[in-house]
Amino acid sequence: MSEEDYTTKITREDACLNRTADDDEDDDEGEEITAQKVLEFLETAWTNEMCAPDILQHQSDMLELMMGQLAHMEENMKDLDKNDFRFVVHQMELERIRYVMASYLRCRLQKIETYTKHLLNEESTRSAEEKRLSPEETKFAQEYYENMEECFQQIALQYMPNTQRSEADQRIVRPNLMSHVFVKANVSVPAVVVGVDDEEVDLAAGSQHIIPYQLIADLIQKHQVQLI
Amino acid sequence: MDPCVIEFIGEKSIIGVIPNFSFDPLHLISGSVGPFRAGMPVHVPLWLGIHLRKQQKCRIVPPEWMDMDLLEEIKEEEKRSKFFTKMPSEHYMVEAQLIMSTAPDDVPRCEEIRTIIKDIFDIRESKLRTSIDAFIRGEGTYAKLDNLTLLEMHSVRPILPHSLDHIARYQRTAVATQRDTSMLGLNSSTMNSSSFLTQ
Amino acid sequence: MSKSNKMFADKAFELVKELQRSSQTIPPFDDDGVRQVLEEIKAIFEENCAQAANYSTSGDRTLWPLLNFRHAALQRNKRCLLSYLHQRLQRIKALRWEFGSIIPADIKTNLCEPEVTFFNKYSKSLASYMRSIGDGQGIDLTGDLRPPKSLYIEVRCVEDFGKFELEDGEVIYLKKNSQHYLPRSQVETLVRQGILQHIV
Repeated sequence: MSEEDYTTKITREDACLNRTADDDEDDDEGEEITAQKVLEFLETAWTNEMCAPDILQHQSDMLELMMGQLAHMEENMKDLDKNDFRFVVHQMELERIRYVMASYLRCRLQKIETYTKHLLNEESTRSAEEKRLSPEETKFAQEYYENMEECFQQIALQYMPNTQRSEADQRIVRPNLMSHVFVKANVSVPAVVVGVDDEEVDLAAGSQHIIPYQLIADLIQKHQVQLI
Repeated sequence: MDPCVIEFIGEKSIIGVIPNFSFDPLHLISGSVGPFRAGMPVHVPLWLGIHLRKQQKCRIVPPEWMDMDLLEEIKEEEKRSKFFTKMPSEHYMVEAQLIMSTAPDDVPRCEEIRTIIKDIFDIRESKLRTSIDAFIRGEGTYAKLDNLTLLEMHSVRPILPHSLDHIARYQRTAVATQRDTSMLGLNSSTMNSSSFLTQ
Repeated sequence: MSKSNKMFADKAFELVKELQRSSQTIPPFDDDGVRQVLEEIKAIFEENCAQAANYSTSGDRTLWPLLNFRHAALQRNKRCLLSYLHQRLQRIKALRWEFGSIIPADIKTNLCEPEVTFFNKYSKSLASYMRSIGDGQGIDLTGDLRPPKSLYIEVRCVEDFGKFELEDGEVIYLKKNSQHYLPRSQVETLVRQGILQHIV
């Protein structure tokens, strides 16, 4: 396998990718992002998702890029002997990356199944760019909700008095957005409100904190902090 | 977060190995490694280093901080200081565990080092417990946790965040109850609607 | 429990507790219990209706607390019943992740018809979601459940096996109590046969 095979740069064609706080990297369309950067991005999205009580914005573009990269890598590895040093090492790395992606998506799926109706309601108020769920996840969520409701209806609700049948809103489960999370500041963030009494603290770059999720939720989106 | 996930994350740390074979650089997605030259130290991710070592294809160069004198200093400092001192590696426990269980022969004074690292961890754990106690008594909702490593944070998860969540919940309920009782004639439907099916 | 202590929603609460106590993958659907709870709901509702009609004509507020109490009992019945069903669906979902798209026959007999329908629909929905990930490239999320440790595993030889040739031509001797670090894919069969033991 030649060196060029591995070092394929991925061209980011889609201009609607999440903008990061450091805008100097995001100039125009057609900018390049290395596979290494995509991986780092996904790894951060993964840990953030595992630690956040709410579902975070989906990263379909990054996932798609990485899946393409893995497929490309596997294609290149086809001709290698299975006991070749290179094959073994690349295979180990592929398994690690596959695990991160699968674990990330499973984590989201779990939130979708737990907070189905709540998330669907929220999504319906969001504009196309703000959607947290990918179109595929939304479809799954809708189907899941309908299947669950149908099962409830058939076994129980249809036999209850009229007034009890339709109160589906009672059953909405919401995440506790005030639950405490561990967070690390990627850059210095001035004047973050850290308590109900509006107390403010400057987060130094690299500093770590425990704090209710809701107070820093927007900073995760802006990549100014990450959850740990 | 499962302990094996913490280990998985820690395995991304970079360590030095001295290979006993030669090979061109490998262009991994996470970054290039190599070239490998027999007898020449090279940096690799911990997961790869451990694999090569188990295959007897390299020796591991212990991280600089796996040194008795340095660790003694850290231990003393940790005892002296009220705060958590900065550890030489964000994943010191994972690195120590993996390296010393796979390649005890590669680490001089391995047993002593194992013990002192455990001591340092214990000192930090007990400090962590004391400060959590103070924090909860102080009814805070926010705290700074500088220099705490991932594994250490994990050791108080989920109990710490959950306790804080509960305290906050009681506080909110207390406020709400005060408001409700001051308002007579509450209607029954609002009482039942809040937490249906929550786990 | 003696009859005098019987409370509203006892049966419904029992359903939830029984399920929680059960160590079976999924216990048989409690048809009878569910029916009893539904009957209790109906009975409470009818009683309340009758008295509420009385209340609205006479305007007698003394019945108000009783109506409220019954309403709460009805809500509790409903809540417990749906919790029971919900909790069962959680376990039914877990079957999909563990066993794939076919429910093992011995477990299937414990599900009621709507539950089997739920499983089938969930299974299909999940499969089509997994296929659609990454613009149709697809990922099987039911695999890679734990962080990969290595393509190689450490094994101990449980009995004398003798020569074993690896795919690269290297020959090793599997002697009782000897330890080896070998490619997982090549020794899985021997591990399953109990000749090698995976050292964790």
